[in-house]
Amino acid sequence: MKRLLAICLSFILLLSLAGCAGRDSEADTAAGGVQDTQADKGLDVMGENVTYDPNHLVNNGDPISIDWWVWASEDMFRSIAEAYEEIHPNVTINVINNPWDGFFTKLPLALQREEEGPTLFNVHNSYENLLLNYMEPYDIDTEELTADYPSASTHLMDGKIYYMDYGLSTGMYYYNKDLWEEAGLTDDDIPKTWDEFIEVAQKLTKFDENGNMIQAGYNYNNYFNSTVIGLNYQFGDNLFSADGKTSLVDSDGMKEAVSFLIDLYEKYQVGDKDFGTNYDQSFYQGQSAIVFAWGFFVGNLAANAPDINYGTFEIPTSDGGTPYAYYRYNGESTPGINKNATDAQKEVAQDFIRFFLASDEVQIRLSAEGGLIPAKTALMEAPELKDTPIVRTVGPHIDRYIWPGAMPSTVENNMKIAGEDILYNGKDAADALKTAADTIDIDLANADFTSSESLYAYYEE
Amino acid sequence: MFKRRPLQSKSEIWMRNIAMGFLIIYMTIFLIVPVIIVVAGSFHQWNPLNQTYNWIGLDNYIRMFSYPTFWQSMANTVIFCVVVVIFRVLLGLAIAYALNSKLMKHKTLFRTIFYMPTVTPLVAVAYVWKIMYNPQFGLIDNIFGLDINWLYDSRFALIALMVMTIWKDFGYAVILFLSGLLSLPSDCYESASIDGANAWQTFRYITLPLLKPTMLFVVVTSIISYLQAYVPVLVMTTGGPGTSTYLSSYLVYDQAFKQYNFGFASAISLFILVLTAIFTVISFKVTGANEN
Repeated sequence: MKRLLAICLSFILLLSLAGCAGRDSEADTAAGGVQDTQADKGLDVMGENVTYDPNHLVNNGDPISIDWWVWASEDMFRSIAEAYEEIHPNVTINVINNPWDGFFTKLPLALQREEEGPTLFNVHNSYENLLLNYMEPYDIDTEELTADYPSASTHLMDGKIYYMDYGLSTGMYYYNKDLWEEAGLTDDDIPKTWDEFIEVAQKLTKFDENGNMIQAGYNYNNYFNSTVIGLNYQFGDNLFSADGKTSLVDSDGMKEAVSFLIDLYEKYQVGDKDFGTNYDQSFYQGQSAIVFAWGFFVGNLAANAPDINYGTFEIPTSDGGTPYAYYRYNGESTPGINKNATDAQKEVAQDFIRFFLASDEVQIRLSAEGGLIPAKTALMEAPELKDTPIVRTVGPHIDRYIWPGAMPSTVENNMKIAGEDILYNGKDAADALKTAADTIDIDLANADFTSSESLYAYYEE
Repeated sequence: MFKRRPLQSKSEIWMRNIAMGFLIIYMTIFLIVPVIIVVAGSFHQWNPLNQTYNWIGLDNYIRMFSYPTFWQSMANTVIFCVVVVIFRVLLGLAIAYALNSKLMKHKTLFRTIFYMPTVTPLVAVAYVWKIMYNPQFGLIDNIFGLDINWLYDSRFALIALMVMTIWKDFGYAVILFLSGLLSLPSDCYESASIDGANAWQTFRYITLPLLKPTMLFVVVTSIISYLQAYVPVLVMTTGGPGTSTYLSSYLVYDQAFKQYNFGFASAISLFILVLTAIFTVISFKVTGANEN
């Protein structure tokens, strides 16, 4: 009996080991694809400058499978892949979601496995220096690309484009409309100046009879670093030196920006570092009335707090007028192509990228769901996008936002440390920012980074 | 004295050679080669993800000794190790002693309860404690009527990590001390009883000296494992607020896998390796001296 039991257990163990064994999803699913014999599908050509003619065969119509690594919005990217698969039924695109934490450690290692790595992968420009070695340039005329996507010119490297922006994102204020109304505020109270901002935030802050905060007017907890990087522009300093090689995170402008945020809590008491340790969770719970977040927060709210009735407003300025720059922006990047994939996989990937860029439907969906301003010129006035929070709020002044360049992650990481040192550890702001600047500069030198601030249209102001 | 028996048959010799061969291959692949790679990497600006590997001599070491976060992480590690080990030993010994008492009933049940945190996955425990430490809805502030932002206040954040670690790990010490207590010779206790020793005297002059090897084992293995602790930091504080809860191993993780400074991380790792080796040698010497 014991022997029989041992044999059964061994068999189960073997089966489970077989189940755990690594497998090549690209190879496996290729076998299940469909032969495509119909080149002329009777479909319209998409796009203006970058065009996509669906009436052709890819990979000669033979079944083929490729992997596409993403770190978020899996459903959205899968639906784009499915739209492409509908045109080319012989192609299977496996959208594989890997969490953001560790994504840029796993991805380069996977790409070092050459054709076994993903053929397509999402890119974040702060990790550009980790990925460029493994990327294939787009096989699309750069003039066509820049005609449709002007910001593509900032991604030219030796006349080639390896990835570019499909949308632009930046920060804006999100407010809870129900709490706004409850405090007796109306649309006319949307603040244009920082003084007005303080006033409404104070009206939205509530304390109990013991003086304990029960509702924050404004909450930046766990988002201090992302908030303050870019606020320096309003206080008179750029983020990087004129040669673009060293950081100015310890500039007077940054010190003023930091001091302003600290004052909001300590002097004006519109929030508290110990109330709602995460700005986003606190907003979801209706405990914080205003938070600052980038465009992605639109998607987060839809997923995590669909019942929150919210509005958005643009970052105020000192006098309500046009500043040197409101804030910074960053691009949401198009997928990269694995240069070591097989020729057949690369052919599919290049074809997919052309489809991705030429299709207005795809671009509209990406901007609407991702909380982005479309990078494609033709879609700036698209009716589907004109009422999205970011386009409505920031769109009219987007030329007054600065792109500091593909800023390496060290800037955010070290500003997080500096922010916590100032906010929670009571460290002197000048010392904390100096420490951050020194560390960032060492890392920037190693990353061979040059800021793009000098490309800003109003840089000389 | 034990006398070595010569190997008698060819099959025994084969078995020995195969076993040793596997062991040598295993140690070479998983220990010696990685250490050599780390030693070489510490002299380079090294990022295997984008294949950067530039010779920079002693720069990583120079930077390490002038890097304030390095010294802070070392200080935190020392505090963390000392406090957690002391509490682990004291709690482990006290509970094991109580469980070993003749007055105690349901010993198996209590043993299981005390050992449960040890077998629970560390990441899960750390997440639960993170929620318990929340200043608004966390269990700890609510039960004790406190208003402390445990994980964001540098006065309490390291303490919070230590409390969680002690809770998680004391059960291991309980089991070791209990097995030590069960193996103590009963004749010593009978003699003590005849001589009229009270409970404290029996514990102080008989139990404690006889438990010394177990205690040394618990202390040494604890210190070595806490020198490598980084998961609680990763889950609960990510080193913050600021750098106030950086432990040396978390600094290695942060530099390697968040900042991608693998060369710098290698230099720090080597420093920790040397420290651990020195500590292990000292502990072996102490153990050896005691045994002699």
